[in-house]
Amino acid sequence: MSPTPLEDQVHDALHRTADPLQRAPFTVSDVRTRARRIQRRRAAVAGAAVAAVLAIAIPVGASMVGPTPRSEVPPVTQPPAPRITETVRIDPLSAPVGGALSLPLIDVDEQSLVVDGETAELPRRYDQLTPYSDGWIGITFVDPEDEGAVGVQVLGPDFEVLDEAAPTSHLAVSTDGSRIAWAEHDGERWTVVERDRDGTREERRTSLPPGSADARVRPVGFLPGDALLVGTTDPATGRESALVVGPDGSTSPLPASLRVGSSSEVTGLVSVQTRFTGDGSCWQVRDAGTGGTEVWRTCDYSVLGFSPDGRHVLGFTDYLTAGGSPTLAVLDAATGERVVDFEVAGARTGVVAINPEVAWEDDGTVVATLVTGERQYVVRLGLDGTVERVGGEGLDVAPGAVALKLAAPGVRPG
Amino acid sequence: MSATLVDMGAQDRPGDLSDKDADFSAYMSARQPALYRTAYLLAGDHAGAEDLLQTAFAKLYLSWDRIRDREALDGYVRRIMVNENSSLWRRAWKRREHATDTMPETGALDTYDDGMGGVLWSFVQTLPPKQRSVVVLRYYEQLSEAEIADVLGISVGTVKSQASRALAALRARAPHSLHPHASGDDAR
Repeated sequence: MSPTPLEDQVHDALHRTADPLQRAPFTVSDVRTRARRIQRRRAAVAGAAVAAVLAIAIPVGASMVGPTPRSEVPPVTQPPAPRITETVRIDPLSAPVGGALSLPLIDVDEQSLVVDGETAELPRRYDQLTPYSDGWIGITFVDPEDEGAVGVQVLGPDFEVLDEAAPTSHLAVSTDGSRIAWAEHDGERWTVVERDRDGTREERRTSLPPGSADARVRPVGFLPGDALLVGTTDPATGRESALVVGPDGSTSPLPASLRVGSSSEVTGLVSVQTRFTGDGSCWQVRDAGTGGTEVWRTCDYSVLGFSPDGRHVLGFTDYLTAGGSPTLAVLDAATGERVVDFEVAGARTGVVAINPEVAWEDDGTVVATLVTGERQYVVRLGLDGTVERVGGEGLDVAPGAVALKLAAPGVRPG
Repeated sequence: MSATLVDMGAQDRPGDLSDKDADFSAYMSARQPALYRTAYLLAGDHAGAEDLLQTAFAKLYLSWDRIRDREALDGYVRRIMVNENSSLWRRAWKRREHATDTMPETGALDTYDDGMGGVLWSFVQTLPPKQRSVVVLRYYEQLSEAEIADVLGISVGTVKSQASRALAALRARAPHSLHPHASGDDAR
């Protein structure tokens, strides 16, 4: 297809901007200096976790939000994911050590943020943190004794508080991090707030009908066409229903559910829990674009976390608690067919679990924290069945607790 | 020989360049100005461009011995720059560093312009990182959609959709003279 005039003009504009530049600011010595710094950081990431044996006292339930492309390792072209027939065992002790983790981590005990090997002290505890405007936006605990009560804080570059609201939900962050949403209660009703990370457009506020703060509302994820998937809880029954909030402020309920799982902003598919069987649960993947019609269902997995390209979704154990899941499957999002099954190695008598808050590092890689043998590890899992340990040798953790958590998870169960 | 901290320290002596450093130096001399231009278009300012390019060269240096295909070096550097520039966390971290240490803009913007190019360039700078990367790789580097998909680690379909969104955003923000009716898009 021949270029349109606008494409020609963009081509010309870029060349006019860049072509006159004749700069060669670096010598090999400059580059070696930077390379040494990078090497030191990589070594620090590996070594810091070995040296630190952290006691922690935070219940699992923390969060990772928003995606971060892996910056240390250039991406490779993704071939179609092969089906792995054998269950892949995740044994952090024997797994090869992978490239440095560029996903940000919150060190719960040290109250710090670790990005690419660099650490910044946080002035207070955050359960979520993601870049926003010239600084950050985070979710903090309103009452240290009540970790269910959280509020949102807009922060400057050095984490100084610029604005805040409470009580709120946790944050939902779009795949590229450009859109951020939360819900806040003003004493009378919940309002869903959506902002662009760069502040390039007006804040969008959608007020829901009057209701108590107990009738919890939370943005679950984003949908095509600037729409947002929101979960609304009936405090009388505890059931959570899915609501699509359109860019014009319209609200469209989807068919009934017990709990809302995740959404894909590429395909418009959503996952919801539809049954609780006593020792397990059943889930459906539905198409929000057609009013929530069923695409497929399963009673084998809890379905959470679509990949950035929408092609895959994660399947945790069908009896999923905040303690995590001993298994993790990657499923074809369109059919529910299993692509690869992972299982954490370790004695079943102890806590062996993948924290359900995980992050897709890219379309073919998942980063998760897991606990086995009272130690917490960070692992990178590939659609091709590869397992890497990242972020050091693991940290001691108390039962039911976490020491490190991804600051920006893509999957955050409600 | 793999590069280690000790090795690199020893190589700092003038006139004692290893084969690796000599090869690397030759590559840098030949390609630095062109890659700087790409870095500038990705970052939008000289400080950011220098940071991107130095990081990309440093990572290339660390991987130099493992890269067999010397024809692929530019692509490797571009890939690192795009990924680095797209890292939200990295950019937020840099803002934090800048706020603390005040890194000044180095040098003036040494470009010429008839007006329209500058307007479009200013709109390109407002695009989200991935869309902007696609625009730079497509319309400046003249890469094919498949090559862009390879650099960005995304599907060709995603490249197309990102390019389409970027152009739509530019049309929406750009002055009337760039709109399809005025520019002749309808005639095609």
